[in-house]
Amino acid sequence: MSLNTSLSIAVQSLSAASGELQVTNNNIANANTTGYTRQVAVLQEVAPTADGTISSGNGVELTGYQSIRDEVLQSQINQETTTQSGANAELSSLNSIEPTFTTSTNDIGTEMSAVFSSISSLSTDATNSTSRQAVLTAGQNLATAFNTASSTLTTQQSGLNTQVTQDVDQINELSTQIAALNPQIAVLKASGQDGGTLEDQQNALVLKLSALTNVSETQTQTGMMVTTGSGTTLVQGSQSYSLQTATGSDGTTVKVVDQSGTDITSTLTGGDLGGTIQTRDTTIPGLLTQLNTLANQFAGAINTAQESGTDQNGTKGAALYSSGSTTDTTITAANITMATTDPAKIAASSDGSAGGTGNLTNLSAVQTTTLASGETPGDAYASLVYQVGSLTSNANSESTATTASLKQLNTQLSSVSGVSIDEESANLITYQTAYEAAARVVSTIQGLFTTLISMGTAAAE
Amino acid sequence: MRVTTMLPDMQYDMQQSQQNLATALQQVSTGLRVNQPSDDPSASANMVKSQAESANVDQYTKNVSTLVSQMQTADSAISSVVTELNSAITDGTAGASGTDTAAQRQGIATQVAGILTTVVAQANSTYSGSYIFGGSETSSPPFVAASTTYTSASTTLVPTTTTLTPGSVTTIGDATTGQTWSYTAGASNTVGDLVTAINAAASSGKISSNITASASTGQLSITTGSSTEGIAVTSNDAALGSMSATAGTSVANAYAYVGNSDVNSVQVGDSMTVATNVPGSTLFTSGTNVIGSLSKLITALQSGTTSDISTATTAVSTASSNLDEQRIPLDNTITQLDSQESYLSQETITLTSQQTALVGISTATAATNLSQAELDNEAVLAAAAKVMPQTLLDYLK
Repeated sequence: MSLNTSLSIAVQSLSAASGELQVTNNNIANANTTGYTRQVAVLQEVAPTADGTISSGNGVELTGYQSIRDEVLQSQINQETTTQSGANAELSSLNSIEPTFTTSTNDIGTEMSAVFSSISSLSTDATNSTSRQAVLTAGQNLATAFNTASSTLTTQQSGLNTQVTQDVDQINELSTQIAALNPQIAVLKASGQDGGTLEDQQNALVLKLSALTNVSETQTQTGMMVTTGSGTTLVQGSQSYSLQTATGSDGTTVKVVDQSGTDITSTLTGGDLGGTIQTRDTTIPGLLTQLNTLANQFAGAINTAQESGTDQNGTKGAALYSSGSTTDTTITAANITMATTDPAKIAASSDGSAGGTGNLTNLSAVQTTTLASGETPGDAYASLVYQVGSLTSNANSESTATTASLKQLNTQLSSVSGVSIDEESANLITYQTAYEAAARVVSTIQGLFTTLISMGTAAAE
Repeated sequence: MRVTTMLPDMQYDMQQSQQNLATALQQVSTGLRVNQPSDDPSASANMVKSQAESANVDQYTKNVSTLVSQMQTADSAISSVVTELNSAITDGTAGASGTDTAAQRQGIATQVAGILTTVVAQANSTYSGSYIFGGSETSSPPFVAASTTYTSASTTLVPTTTTLTPGSVTTIGDATTGQTWSYTAGASNTVGDLVTAINAAASSGKISSNITASASTGQLSITTGSSTEGIAVTSNDAALGSMSATAGTSVANAYAYVGNSDVNSVQVGDSMTVATNVPGSTLFTSGTNVIGSLSKLITALQSGTTSDISTATTAVSTASSNLDEQRIPLDNTITQLDSQESYLSQETITLTSQQTALVGISTATAATNLSQAELDNEAVLAAAAKVMPQTLLDYLK
């Protein structure tokens, strides 16, 4: 073994140590970078040289850098993020809806009580015009409360169409970026290297995508393949397939269609897009149906009670509530309004006498009589409040639960892939020492060379 | 396990602790555990029902206090009538003694006529603008001075073709018999149908048999055909127009009841309804003969024998005891309302405490929660402050 060989080993050591310092430096630099996966330098012993019977080591070789990943954890985090975003999307809409159904001075429940109170008050003196006017005012206030609740729901619903369009745009943007990284990573992998930073970027993009909708990703020969939960391909190799939006048959609802033009709206679940679609197409329509049924059946019951009596002019009672339209007479929460502004039109009497209160009993009975829905008006509204509260509370619980489990998963992932400053600081000292030692070897060999050369000079004299 | 950074954990803990602190603070400042439906969906739904009940109880309480005032007005009017009747009995007894001259009897008759006027005024008492003894006809005086003939405002009626307003009511009060009869128009009923119905009522004894109706001249005319028999007629039918007495046909000291016999009822509890009125006919005409007996006493004083006066006085006395009997339900209702009022105020307290239990939080609990949350928050922050700045670099020299 020659001094040259030793020098060569020492130079390799220096190179390896600086490689390690370099990776430590990079880890420290990216300690707070989102999506960064810590790297380690991969060192390898150089094959030994056999000199007769003696086999001696040939130093160290830096073969590359490797990112420390855990694909399974990463995939769990993606899924949990999808669930969380979906719950958050639903929660955000429900939070806007909830105040309408919270007990206040002008919610439906309070206004409905006011209607029955005014009817009861009128029964103490049916000819009192102030009391008659009070019934009409309370009736109109209730109608307005229905209108407001309905408009809150529909405004929220149509606002979600914009959200769908934005989400689809973002999904397409992310798909394009993920696809663009595939060939670059493939080149690195083909040469036996680690995807490193590029894979970090790709994973961060997939995480963002997961927040928008449920996706599943698989590694193929050409890189990462991404499909939606229901199997619509978004990324394959360097190719990305964009989703499109189209307006539904009602002229307002935004649908999502795939590359081949198939409507995939109902298959999208989870994530902001899935949560938004779920809220828009299931949650809000469900509440609207209940609200419309209540408004319709309540108005119907009051109108029927009106018809069984006579008004202050001795005329048979006419409907108090109407849809406000002659073409579509179906009363809904959105269109319910008073059919008259004349206090005399309240059919208080059951026998034509001006001061009779016989029919007010029928009007009052609406409060305690079950509607076609099987509940009294008050109970039907209470059910609606329960529904809104329970939906909001469930979305809230799901959001809170996924936040906690995401935190747990992130801690686990960070345990594998995260950068520990303390650990890197300790490594820094280790690698510094290694570098210094290797440098000392170089300087020692240099000394040996000098000795060797001066030995030759002395012999020549 | 390899721990890289404690920052996310600490941030999460701080977030949670601050969330709890905010909740505790909201509970202290509002006194409510449930501020929106999602805080407790089932309590919120029950709250909606409970508040509807509260609104009902509030309204029942208001109804009770309105009714109590109204019924006390009725009660004091009846008491005045009883006092007046006692004076009339005294007068009648004096008149029947046979010691008075004819002129003195005329004087007594005038006094009794004054009493009758007062009684009629009491029978036409109002409460906040509504006549309380008219049954459900509360917008016009139920007791009207009678005349022999009434005619409609409209003079263009054709019995076979002029239709009445469905639901409209035409009422004839008969001062002679104390009876009251009314006709409610049905769909497509004509003026002719009304005339037929009136004549049928007269012949079947529902009103005095002398009463006849006719509309052949274009005007509906109803008459008793006797100068001593009086009637009063009202109608709210738009086709007829208002019914009015023909001038010069009024009958002295005769009053007819044109209200109806309806008894209105008001709900003062979930399962309690009270009658709010006793019809004037029950109290003063057909039920007791108060007005009729006074009229007869006046006639007897003016032109009868002492025996006639004595009989008439006895009739007034009977009427007075009848009135005492007929007012009993009214007095009972007032007692009932008094006890219902205290029940309702108890119910209000029950509902309020039920609502507090549903959505409220006691001040003590809220305050304890708040100080607990404050303590937790301080601990989390202190722990974070202790752990966060520490790195190995602090110790490497």
